[in-house]
Amino acid sequence: MPRHIHIVKVHHLTLSFPTAKNPNPKPVLDDVDFGIRDGEILGLIGNSGSGKTMTSLAIAGLLPESANIDSGSIKFAGKSLLDMNPKERRRMLGKDIGMIFQEPSTALDPLMTCGKQLEEVLTAHKESVMEPEERHKAITDMLQTVGFTNAEEICSRYPHQLSGGQRQRVLIAGAALLKPRLLICDEPTSSLDTVTTVSILGLLKELCHQLHMTILFISHDLSAVRGFCDRVMVMKDGKIVDKDTTSDILNNPKNSYTAELLTNARLDTRILGLTPAPVDYESSPVLSAKDITAGYGRSLFERVKKKNGSTESDTKVLHEVSLKVYPNEILGLIGGSGSGKTTLIRSLLGLLPHSGTVNITSTRVGAIFQDPVSCLNPAHTIKWHLNEALRASGKAKEIKGDGTFDEKRARTLEWITGALEACGLGAEYLSRRPNELSGGQRQRVAIAMCLIQEPSLIIADEPFSSLDASSSAELLKLMTTINRERNTAFLLITHNIHIVRQICPRVVVMSNGRICEEGNTEDVLNDPKSEATSALLEAERKLHGI
Amino acid sequence: MSSANRSLKRAPGAYVFYIAGVILLGIVVAAFVVSLFWTPFDPNATNAGAKFIKPCLEHPFGTDNFGRDLLSRVMSASKYTIYISVAGVAIALILGTIAGIPAGYFGGYTDKGIMLLGNSIMCFPGILLALVAVAVFGASVTNVIWALGLVFAPTFARVCRLGTMEIKELDYITHARVMGVKPARIMTLHIFPNLVSQLLPATVIGLANMTLFESGMSYLGLGVQPPDASFGKLLSDAQAYFRVAPWLVIFPAMMLVFYILGLYFISEGLRVSLSKGGK
Repeated sequence: MPRHIHIVKVHHLTLSFPTAKNPNPKPVLDDVDFGIRDGEILGLIGNSGSGKTMTSLAIAGLLPESANIDSGSIKFAGKSLLDMNPKERRRMLGKDIGMIFQEPSTALDPLMTCGKQLEEVLTAHKESVMEPEERHKAITDMLQTVGFTNAEEICSRYPHQLSGGQRQRVLIAGAALLKPRLLICDEPTSSLDTVTTVSILGLLKELCHQLHMTILFISHDLSAVRGFCDRVMVMKDGKIVDKDTTSDILNNPKNSYTAELLTNARLDTRILGLTPAPVDYESSPVLSAKDITAGYGRSLFERVKKKNGSTESDTKVLHEVSLKVYPNEILGLIGGSGSGKTTLIRSLLGLLPHSGTVNITSTRVGAIFQDPVSCLNPAHTIKWHLNEALRASGKAKEIKGDGTFDEKRARTLEWITGALEACGLGAEYLSRRPNELSGGQRQRVAIAMCLIQEPSLIIADEPFSSLDASSSAELLKLMTTINRERNTAFLLITHNIHIVRQICPRVVVMSNGRICEEGNTEDVLNDPKSEATSALLEAERKLHGI
Repeated sequence: MSSANRSLKRAPGAYVFYIAGVILLGIVVAAFVVSLFWTPFDPNATNAGAKFIKPCLEHPFGTDNFGRDLLSRVMSASKYTIYISVAGVAIALILGTIAGIPAGYFGGYTDKGIMLLGNSIMCFPGILLALVAVAVFGASVTNVIWALGLVFAPTFARVCRLGTMEIKELDYITHARVMGVKPARIMTLHIFPNLVSQLLPATVIGLANMTLFESGMSYLGLGVQPPDASFGKLLSDAQAYFRVAPWLVIFPAMMLVFYILGLYFISEGLRVSLSKGGK
């Protein structure tokens, strides 16, 4: 194929989702015009819903059926993609255009070994006729290229036997196997921890040089773009509002929206007003956990296999973890993927059987989870959710008081509206259903549900990882406000060390199911004593350039 | 180029199914509703002088071996067929939901116990179990309904169990548990509403299958007892006269096909529209 200056040229593309009710809706992509230069890494940033993913799907030809291209054209290596028939486009996928998605846990078939899935990529393209041995060699070579030293072993493993980072590497290997000229990466690092993110970005960059690939890198994480992309485009409401070299965009933004994005990503405490409440370490802790040991049951197969010799019946994930959270404190809990953070909070919340003691002074503990999509029940309205929280708190009767049915209802409504407003959402959201809200708004409702219960402690399990920079900043602001005004303590689990540095006075670092370091945030992060903390900090330094 | 036009053309898929289903089902339901107030003749009144009359203006569906008007009998048969299938599915749905949701939610021994019971019922051919039950407790419409309800309950229990196992892992259920909501409330108000989209098509298919079962049982003489009739009973009575009076088979069979096909079309429509909505 001849080389072009622009491998992809998107020419004044306008795309919308017309429905029978609304045949002329607001376009999702509005006059998008850009080119991807051959061999470059182009970053595409913007908040959720700005049209980043739609742009990439339009290039890959994977748009939903209901999408309508109103005007414009897309050219790949000089050929108009929109004029091709579906068969020609399918042939291009994988061979000329590769793609990596956000969620490595769902992108692999759970019933196929990794080797088999990679082989599918080769057999799907009939023009690359290969003998089985050749295919196997190509797969193991590619697995080695993406950083696996035990390629043969990885081939025979199932996706659930790999970590998130390993799965993403397998997906990258699959995408790079046919050496596509363009690799579209749709938020490939947003569900990974910092250490893995840095290694995946390093790998992508290396592949880009080795295989002469061009990369379109979509992300809402500005720090991932820094040091990785050659050029960056900023999208807002389906329009490209800014494009320039990475250093110009990140250091001297000319557009006000880009500047706002950068401020939010930086989480500057002075601008956002993120001042946590002062903590009294002399008072008795709201949560104290001692010697928590927990794990998951072995599968029947593993039990049979280990029958001889081993008396251990469970896989231990946590080993004698002790932890204290003081009133008003925002305690940061950091650690790489698989370090046992989530198992720990599941044990603390009483969702997982464990040994050891957990003492919580308050009767109510709030919880916010990572995934804003599944945090609310799709079958009910926001009002129902808040009412349910009120009912579960046992305070419903007290708040309703005496009087007629209408008076009781009015008092309840006032109470739940108050909680919702405290989270920055108005009363008009009460009648909405979760699918009508954005990710950030759903997390706010989840916090409002916690607030109704008036907990003295809220456990937040990576609430920011699925949110874009602006929503994260707003959520963080809300959390610190609640912490200051309502004296609520937070146990914040995150893989974003930058956030911990900004708002947590104390931090706990976990590694391999044990607490390897804890103490004053500044002391721990400036002078790490353990290897795990050093690795996390090193990764963060590489990523954020701090 | 415009993929939207393509999808708009394809979108009425669900409507086509609904319209076809409603027309077919409508014929049977209309016959049922009208039969409650009026039938051209008394469905059970015999007339020795009017045996085997071919379909004509006075008797549009003809008459049978006792000279009974077949149109009147088909109309009254629709009543039993609809009554038995709806009541049977209601019992199966209630029992299946009550057993299936806790099985999926609690897991462990609860799940094993409930599923063992369900699987024991399912490992016998359904019609055989229903026949045994009716043979033991006596052949009456009520017993047929209970027997069919019990035979069909494990199917609904499985749908509920699987759906519950999937939903209970989601964050909003964990959140409800953390808030201190009791398991019974979680199962009824948090999980059940999310199962409706899976239960709806299963219910409609269940109605169609139950009708077939009931027809089979009536055909064997264990369902509706004479002189009343259901579609299956009419077919069973007609088989001896198939050569001399084919209309005795054609019209009840036609109504049975309308009812079942109508239900299948509606369930297909539901499946298409619910899976689209779920995307």
